[in-house]
Amino acid sequence: MKFPLKIVAADETETIDLAKKFSGVLKPGNTVALIGDLGTGKTFFTKNVIAAFGNSEVSSPTFAIVNVYETKFKIYHFDFYRIKKVGELYDIGFDDYLADSDAITFIEWADLFPEILPEHRFEIKINSIDETKREFIIESL
Amino acid sequence: MTVLGIETSCDETSVSIIKDDKLLSNLISSQDFHVKYGGVVPELSSRAHLQMIEPLVKQSLDEAGLKKEELDVVAATAGPGLIGALLVGLNFGKALSYSLNIPFVSVNHIEGHIFSGFLMEDKPEFPYLCLVVSGGHTLLLLVEDDLHIKKLGTTIDDAAGEAFDKVAKMIGLGYPGGPKIQAYADNGNPDAIKFPIAQLKTKYDFSFSGLKTAVLRHIQKEFGDSSKIPEDAKPDLAASFQEAVVKALTNNVKKAIDKYEVEVHSISVVGGVAANQAIRKSISAIAQNRSIKFVVPEFQFCGDNAAMIAYRAQKLYENGIISDLSANAYPSLPKDIFI
Repeated sequence: MKFPLKIVAADETETIDLAKKFSGVLKPGNTVALIGDLGTGKTFFTKNVIAAFGNSEVSSPTFAIVNVYETKFKIYHFDFYRIKKVGELYDIGFDDYLADSDAITFIEWADLFPEILPEHRFEIKINSIDETKREFIIESL
Repeated sequence: MTVLGIETSCDETSVSIIKDDKLLSNLISSQDFHVKYGGVVPELSSRAHLQMIEPLVKQSLDEAGLKKEELDVVAATAGPGLIGALLVGLNFGKALSYSLNIPFVSVNHIEGHIFSGFLMEDKPEFPYLCLVVSGGHTLLLLVEDDLHIKKLGTTIDDAAGEAFDKVAKMIGLGYPGGPKIQAYADNGNPDAIKFPIAQLKTKYDFSFSGLKTAVLRHIQKEFGDSSKIPEDAKPDLAASFQEAVVKALTNNVKKAIDKYEVEVHSISVVGGVAANQAIRKSISAIAQNRSIKFVVPEFQFCGDNAAMIAYRAQKLYENGIISDLSANAYPSLPKDIFI
């Protein structure tokens, strides 16, 4: 996989395929920032990356703010959707999660608080083209 | 026996005291501490829990008319939830039990919800079917007795409460989503728009992500975007969405009652979304149809609260299950969820 990558997935199967391939480039310590409107499939994509690591029971972290999974790697799955100000993130120890070099961190709605994202990260923008078709723009920053 | 329970798994700080099955006090920060903290809903933070925990414990003892030396057991939520938030309640509870030299019981937050029907006068009868619907969870369970719970189904993506919040935002109804959708739905036609209800291969699982996206597509197709929805179209949107959630929930409840090998004696709906009238009504109708008892907790026991934690701790203690001071917080629901 070479970055930046711009690719269209025609349906869920192709999205799952892309998620699997993307999982191959991830290493402990990496952060993946996901950006896209409601219903573009940020959770769906993340769920399938984590499934490739061996946990298929991933659900939305919106309410919990962060879900933790033990797979081949330790996974922190964040969602900034419900966060009202950046101070709340500091307060729940966001720094400590990020500093965990054994874990891979996924962040949905990462664009809500760009100032708190690590400088080095994968950034995935997802755009809806129609009901099932999605455009993925993946950058390695 | 007198149990003091502490709940700090997410947004709410809550302290409750139960004595011999009787509720003496149930304080919840967002409901009881507004005035003191300037009328602002406390933000999501461990510091907010830290500020509120001690005054809440004191006020709870005052309300119950007890001295702390009269407590027999201290309990706190250990998970699932936000680690920083959980640790505040858990460590406060452990320290309190240590200082009073009485047992400490750590409680699974979801187990608290599951047994919250027992806080009511009319209690569930084992075995009962339990539907947990909240912001973070949607679970269908068979509760065999105090110590045996079987998971029949769960959500594979969004929780029911999350769907309510996100759709309320899409329609432009504001926060909190649950009560707003309900209020608009009261004036709308639930059959106006046919939103899809997920049919999953796994028998009792739920999915609400597709429904959320379907509402979004409908809005985009009919109105362009959220900001252009005419006020008079909102009630039908809310009612039709709520109807789809109700159907998804009731389909699985019906299936479980009719097809599952165990004959259930009660149905209980618990968790924050159990406050929704349409959900209460339709599941109560299923129960009535089949002459099964229906139990739903009153509002103060639906959202996150410490009364359910104190009650659960009492049952665990009666069954000889106590924790030691090394009990740790856990962020996620363990795989083999319950005991």
